[in-house]
Order: sequence, then C-alpha cells, then structure tokens
Amino acid sequence: MDFHLSEQEENLRQTVQEFVHDELVPLEREFENAPDIFEGTRWKTRARLSSDPDVKHYIEIMEALEKKADAKGLWYLDVPKEYGGMQVSNVAMIAVTEELEKSSIPFEFGNHVSNILYNCKGEQIERFLWPCVRGEKTSAFGLSEPASGADPSMLQTVAAPDGDDFIINGTKMFPTFADVADFVQLFARLPGTKGREGVTCFLIETGTPGYRVVRSIATMAGTEPCELVFEDCRVHRSQVLGEVGKGWDLNQAWLGARRFQVGIRAHGAAQRMLRSVAELLRADPVEAQRFASQVGRFAGELAALRTLTYFGSWKADQKMDVRSEAANVKLFATELLHHVIDFALEVAGPSAMRKTHAMARAFRHARSNRIIEGPSEIQRHIIQRALFREGITFLELP
Amino acid sequence: MDLRLSEEERLVKETAAHFVARELISREGAYLKQRELFLPPGDPPRRELDPEIRSLLTERAKQVGLWALELPEFVGGSGMGALARVLIHREFGRTILPFEPACIPGLMANDENVTALVEGRLSLAFAFDQVHKSGTLKEVETRFRPESGGFAISATSIDLLNPSADLFLLPAREQGTNRIGLFLLDRETPGVSVGEVVDLTADSQVGRLTLKECKVKENRLLGYQYEAGEIIACEQLRLAARALGIGMRCLADSIEHARSRVTFGRPLSQRQAIQWMLADLSINLRTCTWLTLEAAWRADQGMLYFAVAALAKKRAARMAFEAADTAIQIHGGYGVCKEFPFEGFYREARLMRLLYGCEQEMDRISGEMFITEGAG
Repeated sequence: MDFHLSEQEENLRQTVQEFVHDELVPLEREFENAPDIFEGTRWKTRARLSSDPDVKHYIEIMEALEKKADAKGLWYLDVPKEYGGMQVSNVAMIAVTEELEKSSIPFEFGNHVSNILYNCKGEQIERFLWPCVRGEKTSAFGLSEPASGADPSMLQTVAAPDGDDFIINGTKMFPTFADVADFVQLFARLPGTKGREGVTCFLIETGTPGYRVVRSIATMAGTEPCELVFEDCRVHRSQVLGEVGKGWDLNQAWLGARRFQVGIRAHGAAQRMLRSVAELLRADPVEAQRFASQVGRFAGELAALRTLTYFGSWKADQKMDVRSEAANVKLFATELLHHVIDFALEVAGPSAMRKTHAMARAFRHARSNRIIEGPSEIQRHIIQRALFREGITFLELP
Repeated sequence: MDLRLSEEERLVKETAAHFVARELISREGAYLKQRELFLPPGDPPRRELDPEIRSLLTERAKQVGLWALELPEFVGGSGMGALARVLIHREFGRTILPFEPACIPGLMANDENVTALVEGRLSLAFAFDQVHKSGTLKEVETRFRPESGGFAISATSIDLLNPSADLFLLPAREQGTNRIGLFLLDRETPGVSVGEVVDLTADSQVGRLTLKECKVKENRLLGYQYEAGEIIACEQLRLAARALGIGMRCLADSIEHARSRVTFGRPLSQRQAIQWMLADLSINLRTCTWLTLEAAWRADQGMLYFAVAALAKKRAARMAFEAADTAIQIHGGYGVCKEFPFEGFYREARLMRLLYGCEQEMDRISGEMFITEGAG
C-alpha cells in the first residue's frame, strides 16, 4: 500500500502550488469585492456578454491568469492525449484542485469540456468537440425536466424518428447557462420507451428551429439555470452522441466523473471557511475557547473527506466500479461543507450575512450542492443498493 | 499511489482473518452462552474466556505469527509494521471473544523480561490513565526524580485497566524539569500497590495503582517524550483497527438479518429507514478505514503520524459504537441478548471512546491548534 503521489503527479502538484502562491494569492484582496459571477468557471460564459466595466475588469484578470496557466502547461490537464492534452490521472486532478482551492480566487484550469463529448464521432468532432477543447464553444447539459429530476429515468422529452431525422418535443429544466451556450447535450427518449430504455443523447445547436430558451431562472447561488422548450425540433441523426437508445450510460458517466472533484472542492471551500473562523477566533480568546472543540471536530472531518476523495479517485484510475465511492464522497462532502458554513456564520455573527461577505457567498452557493447532480437522498439510495447487492465485500480492501 | 494491499500485506490479513474465523468466531457461541456467576441485580456479570482455551489459542496464534506483533523476530515477536498490525487488529476486532495478540512495545525488545512476556509467563499493563482524557502527555502527574543508580517514582492514583499485570509501563514527569520519562515498573517493587479491583461495564476490570517512592534501576527508563507519545499513537491505532473490525462485523450481520427478517410482508432490507441506517454506517466505516490505514502507512514511512492516529481512533471508536447501536436496533430484541455479540461490542466501544483521548477533549486540542496555526 502506498499513499505517495507518483513523481509525475507530485511535480504537477508543486507546479500548481507555485502558481497559486505566485499568481492567485496576491489577487485575493482584489477579489473580495468581485461580483458573484466570478465563482468557478462562470466568468467564461454570461459574464463575457456584460458591458459593466467592473465585470470587464475582472474578466481581464481572469484572462491574464489563463494565459499564464497555459504557458506553464496547466490548461489542458484532463484533456485526452489525442486531443493535445496531458490526460493526467484522476488522482492528479484531485491534487491540482486541492492546491487551487487553497486560494480564495475562483480560478480553475481548463475549458471544462463535458466529458461525454469525447464520445463524438466523425464530423461531430470538428463541429462540437474541438471547439470546446479550444475554449471557443460551451455546452449545456439537458437532462432534468419539470417532472423528472432526481430520477432522470422518468424523462418525457420524445425524439421521434422521421427518415434520417428525429423530431424532438419536450421541456428541459435547469440546464445552467443554456442561454449563452453554443449547443445543448439533450437527452430524449424514443417513442413508446420507458425507464432507462430508449434514452438518446443529441447535440443541438442554439438557434436550431424549434429549440427555444424560454427563460433563465434566478437562484440564491447566482447561477441562472434555464428552461428549454423543444417544439417539433428537427435534428439530423448525425447529431446523435454515441448510439441511438444508449444515452442512459452517457448521463451516468457524466455524473460519475464529477463527484470526486465536487468532493475536493467542497473540502477546499470548507477549509478556507474554517480558516476565516480561526482568524476571527484568534482575536478573541474567550470565543476561541468556546468554539475550539467544534473547530477541531470539523478539521478532523475535513481530513477524513480528503482521504476518502483520494481513495475514490485512485479507484477510478484503476477503472474499478466507483459508483458507491462517488456517492459517498458527494454526500459526505456537500453535507460537511454545509455544516461548516453554518458553523462559520454562527461564529461570525450577523455581519457575515452581508451580501458581499465571503461567508454569505459561500452560504448561498453551497446549498444547491446538496441537490444538484443527485440529491443526498439519492446518494444514500445508491450506497444502500450496492450494500445489499454486494454484502460486506463491498467494504473490503482492494 | 497504489492503495492495493501488497502481496505480503494480503497474506498477513488473510492469515489473521483465517485465524479469527477458525479459532475465535467458531468459539463465540459457547463463550456467549456460558453460565455466569450470580451477581446482585444491576451488577452486570463479567464474562471470561476459559484459561485453558486461552492458552491453547495463545499457542496457535504464536504458531502462525500473530503474537507480539511489534517485537522483532529474534526475541520471538512477529516484527510487523504499523500497517500490518492494523490489518491484524482489524480482523481480531470482528469477534467478541476477548482474545488478541499480546501488545509488547518494540522498545522492550532488549529488556530482561521480554522473553517471559512473549511466552506469556508475565503480563504487561500500560499505566497511561492520565493520558486517557486528552490523548496527550499534558496531564501526566506521576513524578520521578533521579537518584544514585536509578530513579524514584511516585503517583497518587492511576486507574489500571489490566490490574493483574506483573509489569507496568508508565510515563512520568521529572521533578523540576517537567520532562517526560517512560518507565517499566515491577509489581513487586516496594511502594507499588494495587487497590481494590472492580468490574467495568465492558468485560474487563479496573484497579487503582499507587506508587510511593518506588525505586527503579537506571535501565528501567525506556524512553522520553517521543517514545511515550509513540506508545499512545500505537494504542490509538490498535483501538482504531479493532473499531473497524467491530464496524465490519456489525454491518455484515445487520445486512444479513435485514435481508431475512420480514415485517408487515416485506424484508427489512426493503425499508428505507433500515437502508439509510446501513448506508450511513458504511460511509462512516469506509472513511475511518482509510484514515486508519493512512495513519499506519505514515508511521511505517517515518512521517509524522500522531495527529492522524489520534483522529483515526477518535472517529473509529465513535463509528464502532454507532455500528453496534445500529446492529442492536436492527436485530431488535436479539440485539440486547447476551447470546449475540452486539451488546458486548456496544459496551466495549463505549469504553474505547474514552481511552487515549475522549472526543470532546481531542476536538478541543486539535481546534486550538487549528486556531493558533490556522492550518489543519
């Protein structure tokens, strides 16, 4: 058993550590007042359409960072080698994100290509995949519907074959940034099918006749997911991603791969939150005494989350089944972050509820994580299913 | 990173698993159903392993190398690293039968008593009572001072969890300098007395040790602060590993029972209330498993590991307690019956939570460190 990062992974981690120290940490003060839109990768989409000089200023900073990261070879880390990327391991990506998360600057490497787009074939590659890899296009993910969220097998959008085309009818809820995306990865079912059968994924460009983004919906987290309507939207069969009727596995793959990153991000955010709490408490010994044991407990839980995340991503690198580990990490991470932020507010008091305060921001952003990409209850369901299917061997050592 | 067990680690784990299944779990039924002495109501009777069976098991454990794990082979030990020991204790934790490999710290390898200890003619107790509150040496009150040819040690009262032991290993503080020394003490040394021995709620006993100007030779000082800290960390890892075993057993049996027990026309395994109890337990168990393994691996690598070992013990002992609680709930009335192992695990795990650091105090200490250093 060996918990060391490989030499290559360790070198990468150190490069990122230096990048964070040299480029991100010095910007932290300036970013304290940045608009919410600069959380994660969001600045790459709607923010770019803004004419607000303040927003433009931050975009310039982000673009300069992107150039610097690219120059250090940090921009295409998780892109497969055949598309010019580094194709680093899952474990390496966890180490990278762990380092990035040590700074409060919401900056992430790469263009965040939806991982299922690597299933593109033939002319799809030039039309959809390459522009995403190069950062010229963005995509939205259309799975949830007004009446199907946690259980996507209930989706009702229909794709009816018509010669070489499909006619699509239905409504999609909550694809983030669909209004500014160049195309949507749309999940629809063949007529007369039920459950996981007949689910098919289409790549549909914005502006395709019959496809409308009806509205964007404001949320407490500052994201603006959209409602999409498809009315007799005609799509050629060459726009099917993967195979007709085999779309279910794609949606599962999309979800699975993200969980460990969710875990390490939550770890980083919670760690920063706890550090700000520590800073407040350093100034007040009486309060420090009062809250010390809770701080200690959360610090321990974070260490536990970190270990669990590395284990899961290592297992993913070994191509083992990680559905239950992924569920484990997603559940543990998002619930823990929620509790840490709740505690941080308890220590900091009402002034931390100011809209621009880092804690208030984290409070607004974290709540949705316990729902999106599979609510906590679904994660528990996935875990118990594996538990009763495999019995205790499920927890034996690899 | 390679989190697979190496060939050697797998072999160690399988040897222990085999021994536990064949020698210990097979004897559990008889052990759990033994008739107990009559005791006044409200005074839970203590179960004991038949001495003949104990010596038989000791012999067999020695034969397969599951004895005196920390000691090098030239004094009859098994020369195992921390990770291997965790794998072994995790297997032994799966049974309620009170039998586990003798724990003789590696630093005793050169002591004159080591052979007698390995052979089982003598027994050793860790007199680390004052350490149980915080899991650190901060609260050690036992005193020592150098004298010609040795040291004199005094302590007013130390609660001793193995009161029948012949030798005591204990940390003490030097008068004046306050530095910690780690001593080995004979029961026969003048000034040593063990007060009334009473039963604990777990199936073990406690006695009160007092030391009045006990004179020991120079060679009985086995180490200082670090060595004493290492004993604490090793014990924490042992407890964490046992806790993992308890968790595995409780979860495995609960899954089985939930599959077969039917209520209102459906097996328990189809009830969400039951499913979620077990899902939450499995998450906790998995997390504790990797924390404990990582701490042990760090120990073997010569990296800092005391803090991780402490965290692993804190979380794992709590997890084992909750695992036993869940197993009792799922087994219903059988859960509290002494013919089943779960109530025993429940009592044992409650004690484990209090040894080598209780939760609140450990949290407070690591919280204070986090606050002053701003790091975790």
